[in-house]
Amino acid sequence: MRSRLKKSATTDLFAAAQAPAARHPTRPSAAAVSPPPPPQQEASRSRSRHLWYAVVFPALGNPENTSRILERLCLYAQRFTPWVSIDQPNALLLEIRGSVKLFGSLETLHADIDAVWSGLKLRAQSSTAPSTLAALWLARAGEKALIEDPGLLAGRLAKLPVACTAWDRSRLSTLRTMGVNRIGELMRLPRAGIARRFGPASVLDLDIALSRQSGPRRAFVARERFRERCDFETEVETVAYVQKALEPLLERCAQFLCERQTGVQALQLKLKHRTEPVTRVRLGLASVTGDLARLTDVCMQKLPRLELAAPILSMELLSGRLEPLSADSLDVFACLGGADGRDTAPQLVERLRARLGEQAVYGICPVPEHRPEAAWQRVRALHHAPRPGRRAHRKADGQEMPRPVWLLSEPARLQDVDVERLHRSPSMLEEGPERIESGWWDGKDVARDYYVVRQAGGARLWIFQERRSKCWYVHGVFA
Amino acid sequence: MPREPSKLDSLLADARVWKLKDASAGHSSSRPVWSTGQSALDARLPGGGWPTASLIEVLLEAPGLGEVQLFLPALVQSQRAEGETPWLVWISPPHEPFAPALAQYGIDLDRLLVVRPGTATEALWAAEQAMSSGVCAVVLLWLKGSRWLSLRRLKLAAEAGGTLGVLFRPERHRFESSPATLRLLLARGDEYPRLDIIKVQGGRPGPVELESAPPIARSPGECRHLELT
Repeated sequence: MRSRLKKSATTDLFAAAQAPAARHPTRPSAAAVSPPPPPQQEASRSRSRHLWYAVVFPALGNPENTSRILERLCLYAQRFTPWVSIDQPNALLLEIRGSVKLFGSLETLHADIDAVWSGLKLRAQSSTAPSTLAALWLARAGEKALIEDPGLLAGRLAKLPVACTAWDRSRLSTLRTMGVNRIGELMRLPRAGIARRFGPASVLDLDIALSRQSGPRRAFVARERFRERCDFETEVETVAYVQKALEPLLERCAQFLCERQTGVQALQLKLKHRTEPVTRVRLGLASVTGDLARLTDVCMQKLPRLELAAPILSMELLSGRLEPLSADSLDVFACLGGADGRDTAPQLVERLRARLGEQAVYGICPVPEHRPEAAWQRVRALHHAPRPGRRAHRKADGQEMPRPVWLLSEPARLQDVDVERLHRSPSMLEEGPERIESGWWDGKDVARDYYVVRQAGGARLWIFQERRSKCWYVHGVFA
Repeated sequence: MPREPSKLDSLLADARVWKLKDASAGHSSSRPVWSTGQSALDARLPGGGWPTASLIEVLLEAPGLGEVQLFLPALVQSQRAEGETPWLVWISPPHEPFAPALAQYGIDLDRLLVVRPGTATEALWAAEQAMSSGVCAVVLLWLKGSRWLSLRRLKLAAEAGGTLGVLFRPERHRFESSPATLRLLLARGDEYPRLDIIKVQGGRPGPVELESAPPIARSPGECRHLELT
């Protein structure tokens, strides 16, 4: 018991650290740290420190697409309280103690929040209780309860079916075979027995539900995006006008990012037409930035080659996810480069990508692999900041066989005439053989002997003989 | 007494007159010169290496004659030079650059960009952007053909950005006029490729004897000649 109390104190500390806020109206931060009072005292008070409104949306089932819906519902819920928490898969928890006075009474507040869900045509079951799990369980059971007194919790919860705890299937089926169907029956079982059979988490859940312990939850923090719309007085048919109108939007976007010390890696421009579907222009940046010059540069490269399907009524600029500016994105030397009117490396990459397409500009890197065709790969994300550690490279150490500058995408079969000539004058072979035999584990098994061969004119080729078929192929050129 | 414009001055002001002094003075300035890795070729070039901030044109009789090898030492040196911006850009190379080979040679692949434009116009545009940006040390560009005017733009961009621009074109453009500072012809030889300097500002054109260096720098005595069975 002693150890459990200690644990509760630490979890409560955790809750205090997670609470977004000292701004929260009812939560004196000092009080949040202290361990909860013993249950007997708590029961004697008619008011608890927290009051939780739980709402369950039975229609939301699939967890993949519901998390986005729940996040949007959180934004609605934040009208009533700054502290909203998502309970996967289909429930929200709102801490409403501090909002009761503002909205008049608990009944009006509860009804106001319920009105939001019915206004959204969502089927919702809600309850209010002094503990998170109690409110949630009551809501899941479909009881519209408004409980303020923690002393009443045990009595109300006792009638609920065990299934509304949403515990895992094995725990619930064991309980059913034991003949435990109601939470009241579960509460009458010895604690040590429950902890042994169902794990300490079950006892903790019961304690949290009965407001004997606090159950910390992660508060929902709304994601911020820049979003601004510009309506045109008349329908716009030329891109040049769009460019002009975009300038103030971009300026405000850069200001928005600057105020938050964040940057974006993508922007989206939505162009709305009268009847045609919305045109979306995606603007990608090579690195996280909030620099107006770079945002403008990308837009001005991308827009002139845009073909408008129809005249534009309005446009909207949306930022991608805001990302903190890192040391990598604030490249000192890149800034120096940009100061005298010249570009920085990310700017160059962005400009090339904006016009030629994302796939047309890439880096390459070697992969530790023996098969030549798998020994390299394209790199999309480029490291703009200098990395001094990586400058130490592998200089040819004499032990390695030479590698050609060009690698053919597919090995080209040598003509029989050439193979004949190869057999007649072995002095054409400059190096070799280097045996590469690898890849039996992934189905691209190779067994080859590589040679460097010099053609009559002076060109050097990298050829190999397939060891099984004895065929000769050209694989690279020492250009 | 006001000096009348002399005949010599008016002659020099004529755009058709090209002053040898200016051309060679450009190379002897503080700009670094990058070795070609071939001492015979270095000796023939003004300044003793590839001139930076200029456009070099290499005409190829056939691909694979070691044209990139000529510039690999310059690529490595440019990345190691102090105070230089070490990006390398390869625009529309005929095949995929093989990363292990370049890493083996000592090129920092974090600073290498491959650009594959769809058309020749886009390739020229990309080259101009890369050269004039000032962040690239060397820009390699492969083209099938292009007009004099666009090459002139490339040359100006290379000079403005302080970039070594290298343009690879087929040999059939040999007799076309070109604004490049240096023009080379790489052709098939009897045993080794043949290199001709067609045009060099501040130097003397003519054939160059290339040393028969192995393709990748490596310790001598490694070569193994094996009989085919």
